[in-house]
Amino acid sequence: MNRKSLRLLGCVAVAAVLCLLLAAGPAAAQQKVIKIGTIFPLTGPVANAGQRCQAAVQTAVEIVNGQHPGVKVPLAKKGGLLGGYKIQLVHADSQGKPDIGKAEAERLLNQEGVWALIGSYNSSVSGPASLVAERAKKIFMCGASSSSALTKRNLNYFFRLAPTDATESAEFVEVLKWLNQKQNANIRTIGIIYENTLFGKGAAGEAKKAATAAGFSVVVDVPYTPGATNLNSEVQTLKTKNPDALFGAVLGADYALMVKTMKQANWVPRMSINYCSGYQDPIIAKQLGKDADLFMGSNAYTPQFATLLPAVAAVEKIFKTKTKGVPFDGDSIQEAVAVIVLAQAIEKAGSLDPEKVVKVLHESTFDSPLSLGGKVQFAKGGQNIKAFSIVTQLQNGEYKRLYPAELADSKAKVVFPMKPWNKR
Amino acid sequence: MVNPTKNRIFGKDAVWLLFIAVVAVLPLVPGFADNSFRMHVFILILLYASMAQAWNILGGYCGQVSFGHSVFFGIGAYGAAMALVTYGTAPWPGILIGMAAAGLVAVVISYPCFKLSGHYFAIATFAIVEIFFRMFQVWDWIGGAIGLDYPVIEEGLWNLVWYSKTGYYYFALILFVIVFGVVRWLEGHRFGYYMKAVREGQETAESLGVNSAMVKLTAMAISAVLTALCGVFFVQYNLRVDPSMVISLDMAMKFVLITILGGAGTLLGPLAGAAVLIPLQEYTRAFWGGLGGGIDLIIFGLIIILMVIKQPAGIVGIFQGIRQRIAKARGKGGAEIGTP
Repeated sequence: MNRKSLRLLGCVAVAAVLCLLLAAGPAAAQQKVIKIGTIFPLTGPVANAGQRCQAAVQTAVEIVNGQHPGVKVPLAKKGGLLGGYKIQLVHADSQGKPDIGKAEAERLLNQEGVWALIGSYNSSVSGPASLVAERAKKIFMCGASSSSALTKRNLNYFFRLAPTDATESAEFVEVLKWLNQKQNANIRTIGIIYENTLFGKGAAGEAKKAATAAGFSVVVDVPYTPGATNLNSEVQTLKTKNPDALFGAVLGADYALMVKTMKQANWVPRMSINYCSGYQDPIIAKQLGKDADLFMGSNAYTPQFATLLPAVAAVEKIFKTKTKGVPFDGDSIQEAVAVIVLAQAIEKAGSLDPEKVVKVLHESTFDSPLSLGGKVQFAKGGQNIKAFSIVTQLQNGEYKRLYPAELADSKAKVVFPMKPWNKR
Repeated sequence: MVNPTKNRIFGKDAVWLLFIAVVAVLPLVPGFADNSFRMHVFILILLYASMAQAWNILGGYCGQVSFGHSVFFGIGAYGAAMALVTYGTAPWPGILIGMAAAGLVAVVISYPCFKLSGHYFAIATFAIVEIFFRMFQVWDWIGGAIGLDYPVIEEGLWNLVWYSKTGYYYFALILFVIVFGVVRWLEGHRFGYYMKAVREGQETAESLGVNSAMVKLTAMAISAVLTALCGVFFVQYNLRVDPSMVISLDMAMKFVLITILGGAGTLLGPLAGAAVLIPLQEYTRAFWGGLGGGIDLIIFGLIIILMVIKQPAGIVGIFQGIRQRIAKARGKGGAEIGTP
């Protein structure tokens, strides 16, 4: 390396660092703008899901800011909030890592001057990021993180839309009882496969609690490391114990790998039911094709719920322009709901004072045509008590609504037990 | 006759003392502490420089490349978190236990590993990270995969938790002074020369009477204890720990990357590496992370590749090169570009 290029490289490095350190002063003065920060895993193992969540937030903001007479959700026709305020989004990438999510929450609140935060998909990121918001007395809207621990912290500024893994576990156990009654399924033993993270382990813990309380016996419990390249030994363990029903908390690509490995091992349980995970991801279901069929799981939304949620279609049309045609799924739609509920609270409070908006969030019930519950209401600690999901089964690539009975698809019939691979 | 003590204080070390003094008064400069993201970047520079310097003892001065330091980092972090979250006390007893445990674990696992030579030692340390990661994930006593979340607690020295960045800034600075101070002391101590002798040629060192096994084990223990102290800071700063946050290959690589980028086996290297790498990492993410698609990570990666291709001796190598040329131009002959 000659002297000239050495000097150049040295100068460039020093100048770059100095510029970076001195850059990024406080945000510019804001006029009639409500800045909201988003924190999602835009890169890393669950990047697809994170990017869809970000697109859902953008969709909802577009609806609230503009005038959309054809969209039947609250505030779609007004064109802004509080007589002319527009929401402006500032996006951040958590990479799915708690420390980065926390640092980004601080940056968004302190440097970008955002008024509230929305995020963060991964429960492990939502935890520390929402603590930052709590200390700063800023609102944190959490769409899809399902760890029940999050709303047990009794935070004042934290609000979560999705059902928790505790709610889902209770619902799954009800499904087992329903199958035993209606189909004479004789399900007695349960196996659990879950990713070894806050989400997976939390779900598995709630599953064990609910199943044991209802008299089922958990015979096998298989954790795995997320992002696994091989699940042979995990599936073999399940096959050896052969539980009647399998509960799964398996995210993204790991879910596809699990199903493929089950096929290789030529084993299926008599029924398999999954938490909000790879099961409900429309891209994964498409990739798996026929192999995804007959598995069951909980969904807050799929395009097959259109008759139950007629308001979604117009919103989804905008959403699809941002996701190259991929429809909403149960997680991403919750993020859109988070924005619309927050917007309603601001409008109702008639002020941008976080304390007043928090009071409204705690005390009101909000219309939510994008949610199965139709309403959103928060309990102390921030859990949406109107949240629930429908248990579906994939049949010929379509999510058929099965449980609860009043929301079931009248033409759909549960296929039980699951057909062995060689008879499909 | 030159007085070596006087030389130490007023010579090379004067620059360091001045540097620490400047860093210490920075938060008092009007406008500096107002920008909490800038404070965050400075805090991370001090933390990662300390982590890299702790690794540098073994990897740089003693020449034993370890990819397993995230294990000791994790043990330190868990020590403080267990005391605070599980037992509801101040983190202090946990810090001491964590540091002692890290040192002990380091000695126990490296004793057989040091029998491996060259690249095999590095490969073995890779495996150790994986073993500890899995073990911590299924170990329910320490919270397993769910990890430990800090409750909302009072700020201050007792809990080692602050609501503002200034407290953490000075905590990081103290950490930095401790770690760099130990390495500076080692540099001038007989043990420092033993380490360098082992690095340059184990057989030669042994033939001169250096007990290379003991030197390597001691270097590993010192390095692990200081790394655990850095882990304490990490958990107190992030208020949460789970195995994938600390005991990961990703974290292990950061120790190595920062030191190599800055210049391994030099006192300044880890600081130079962290001062360039951390702002790049944080600001590329702040500016471009929200765009999605990992543009920030691509730019960050490209800059690292360019640095490594253009100057394999690290940032310190660049400055030494410049100094050497200036000295040559004056006809005095220059310092050698010294990296292992």
